[in-house]
Amino acid sequence: MIKVLVFVIISEIWTAIGQVLFKKSVNSLGVHSLRGIRNQKRFLKNVLTHPSIWMGLSCMVAGMLVWLMALAQGDLSLVYSAGSIQYVMILFLAHYLLGEKIDRMKFIGTFLVFFGIILITIS
Amino acid sequence: MRTGGLTLKIFLLIVLNDIGDTVAQLLMKKGLLHTGIGDITPGNFTEFVAGNAASPLVWAGMAIFILNFFIWIVVLSRVDLSIAMPVGSTSYIFVPLAAMFFLHEAVSPLRWAGIILIAVGIHFVSQSKKPGEGKAPA
Repeated sequence: MIKVLVFVIISEIWTAIGQVLFKKSVNSLGVHSLRGIRNQKRFLKNVLTHPSIWMGLSCMVAGMLVWLMALAQGDLSLVYSAGSIQYVMILFLAHYLLGEKIDRMKFIGTFLVFFGIILITIS
Repeated sequence: MRTGGLTLKIFLLIVLNDIGDTVAQLLMKKGLLHTGIGDITPGNFTEFVAGNAASPLVWAGMAIFILNFFIWIVVLSRVDLSIAMPVGSTSYIFVPLAAMFFLHEAVSPLRWAGIILIAVGIHFVSQSKKPGEGKAPA
């Protein structure tokens, strides 16, 4: 049980870092309109030539592989639910690494998710 | 970037995304069960990797997972995360249900309570204020 959770947490750490890298790279591209095929093509070209995107993708792949190891060792209903720990990780990573604000709704929601995970793991 | 409201087309895409996620997880778990390794150790790790790399179910699950990623991006380009996420969080209900019916997993009432808390929590997270938005709509 503890082992399965450790695998889920390692997997979600990779995924969360991947998400932060994605967000960091699209943030650095600046906000452009995505309307129209020309803007979309330019966006796609900028994204695909951005090193952080590829670093993020690599993290996602690593997260996926560890996810399979978690899934092999625990019930799907446990592993999938425990995977929501990502919401908790992203809240803190987004705050400390991206400077995103944590408002009351986000905090309450993340706390509920965390409490839900505790219920799942003791069940 | 301005995004519009929830249309039937987008709603169906979100539902498709939920179903895709559920099916992907189910296929992966089913494939992983085939190798019969329920406890990964340094000793059986190579066997684990080789067994699953040869599993069509695991590959099919991963393919749907990646396809789903693109559907999600299309959804997010059309509607706000605050609309997409609550509808998307229903997969936290779908997946354990599918695990019960197709994999015969036992889900206790306490686990259901935890799952519902998670879904409600995601709903709250998604309703938080966006940067630059003065007041959250009632």
